[in-house]
Amino acid sequence: MVVSLGVLTVLALFPWFHPPIYFVSLLFVVFMYVALASSWNIIGGFAGYLSFGHVAFFGIGAYATGLMMKGFHLSPAATILSSIPAGITAAVIAVIIGYPCLRLRGPYFAVITFCFAFVVDLGIKNLDIVGGPEGLWLKSMNLPIGITRSILFEVMMAIMVFAVAFAVWTSRAKFGAGLRAIKEDEEVAGTICINAPRLKIKAFAVSAFFPGMAGGIYAYYLTYIHPDIVFDVNISILIVLMALFGGGGTWLGPVLGAVILTLVNEGLSTFVRAELARIIYGCLFIVIITFMPNGIMEFFRRREKPEKT
Amino acid sequence: MNTTLVLQSLISGIMMGSVYALLGVGFSLTWGVMKVINIAHATFGLLGAYLAYTLLKYWGLDPILSLSVTVPALFICACFAYRVLISPIMRSKDVVVSSMILTFGMAIILENLMLLIWSPDPRLMTTSYTSKVLVIGPLYFQYPKLAGFLMSAAGILIIYLFLKKTYTGKAVRAAWQQPDAAQLYGVNLGRISMITFGLAVSSAGAGGIAMAFLYSFEPHTHNLWLIYLFLVVIVGGVGNVLGTAAGGLIIGVITGLSMAFLPYQWVNLLTFGLLMIILIIKPQGLFKGEV
Repeated sequence: MVVSLGVLTVLALFPWFHPPIYFVSLLFVVFMYVALASSWNIIGGFAGYLSFGHVAFFGIGAYATGLMMKGFHLSPAATILSSIPAGITAAVIAVIIGYPCLRLRGPYFAVITFCFAFVVDLGIKNLDIVGGPEGLWLKSMNLPIGITRSILFEVMMAIMVFAVAFAVWTSRAKFGAGLRAIKEDEEVAGTICINAPRLKIKAFAVSAFFPGMAGGIYAYYLTYIHPDIVFDVNISILIVLMALFGGGGTWLGPVLGAVILTLVNEGLSTFVRAELARIIYGCLFIVIITFMPNGIMEFFRRREKPEKT
Repeated sequence: MNTTLVLQSLISGIMMGSVYALLGVGFSLTWGVMKVINIAHATFGLLGAYLAYTLLKYWGLDPILSLSVTVPALFICACFAYRVLISPIMRSKDVVVSSMILTFGMAIILENLMLLIWSPDPRLMTTSYTSKVLVIGPLYFQYPKLAGFLMSAAGILIIYLFLKKTYTGKAVRAAWQQPDAAQLYGVNLGRISMITFGLAVSSAGAGGIAMAFLYSFEPHTHNLWLIYLFLVVIVGGVGNVLGTAAGGLIIGVITGLSMAFLPYQWVNLLTFGLLMIILIIKPQGLFKGEV
């Protein structure tokens, strides 16, 4: 607990050391993926419902903030706060779409969520009121880029802390126990008075709230959003991989997974040719899934406890 | 409503659909028999297309003739991939999820290998009969599309006969229906899985070549094919060869007709929306499950 507080304080003070903007941006992205993976984990790792279209909520949050800023001519502070309604919008849509979708299991749920992301993506591309295929421009803060980035850095860090804190709470509370029961055997969970449908919808809604907020802040960070950017399929898949890589069902897993995979991806892309980097990235997936199929956390936990005969 | 237009788009839809069907059959088989969702299925198909393209461009070998090279080559690749990469994860708790992640890694590797070897430029297979058209009444049948269609129909027929008539094929079906009982009858699940995978991937290669007869392709095209694969397999029913074939035709026809009457951007929206609706109403597929 003390260690994590210490790490967080250091990270929070990071921009004050005037590092090159690249590192501020890099950590921004790391925080964002940690938040995304941790909140995805609520429905994916704990409940076992792998949503392969989670980027839809990210994009919805981005567009919600963008549209609110344009429509109401919000000031910078208000725009940052508008990420909260953006997150709520995403959560509401998750509830609406969750009712039909959460009835499906396993791979079918994965496919329908995957489709949902595409449907939203194509839907927005066809609506010219929201910018359509030309995207949406946001007004940037009238401050030097270093300061803008640092402010958003702190905000994203706050979102990440809340997302991870929620994940920690889930892993220890009745809510999380209920989700785990659903993952193990949904029918049996029903027999011990666990209201599976309600829990699933709640989990899905919360798991959409944080990505919605993150999307809103990301929109402000980029000052330009376009469906191809904020509804990118790769983001969906990366989120799933980060959470599962680190270990679904634990709060620390997605954190580790997001940090490691983002940094590895960045490092590889910087030093190695792009295609080669992706090949190594792919090999990494294969190695990890072969030797650590339940994620890193499980692997280390098994090593710690010697087998009892 | 122009009847010629409707008929023409129907024909184009059927031709497109048959290719989806051939691609989908292998995908459906791996999912049904091995519980492996092969995200790299379309990528292997693309590899087949690139192989055929290279053989055509540098050795002048017609893609249909080069099938005798590409299909066995892919079969061997697949068996190798199965031995080395896939069989370890078959023992894991949740094969479906692990296989998705593993094959996703494979897909990334293959896609970037293709990017390195063939560059991101779109490729088109131009054979001696590319511009020839068969005209029957007011309808046009382009030779390459006909070739793709015939190839797909033949491929699906071969797979169907293999599964229904040959001993190995029956073993595959047994492994799909009741793996434990099949083992009691002496079916070596490991070997059957490898053969199924090899069959699926080589049919994917043939499907990719058939697709290349219709459209141009570049290393990222497999993503689009994959979406259609999911659609076809879910409509047709996982593991069900004839169902998947029918599903492919249905999807092809719907896409073909919608391309003629809807603005371009709405066609894809229709496809995905359709998949969502089908999943909500009837996720087991429109056909009864039986290989």
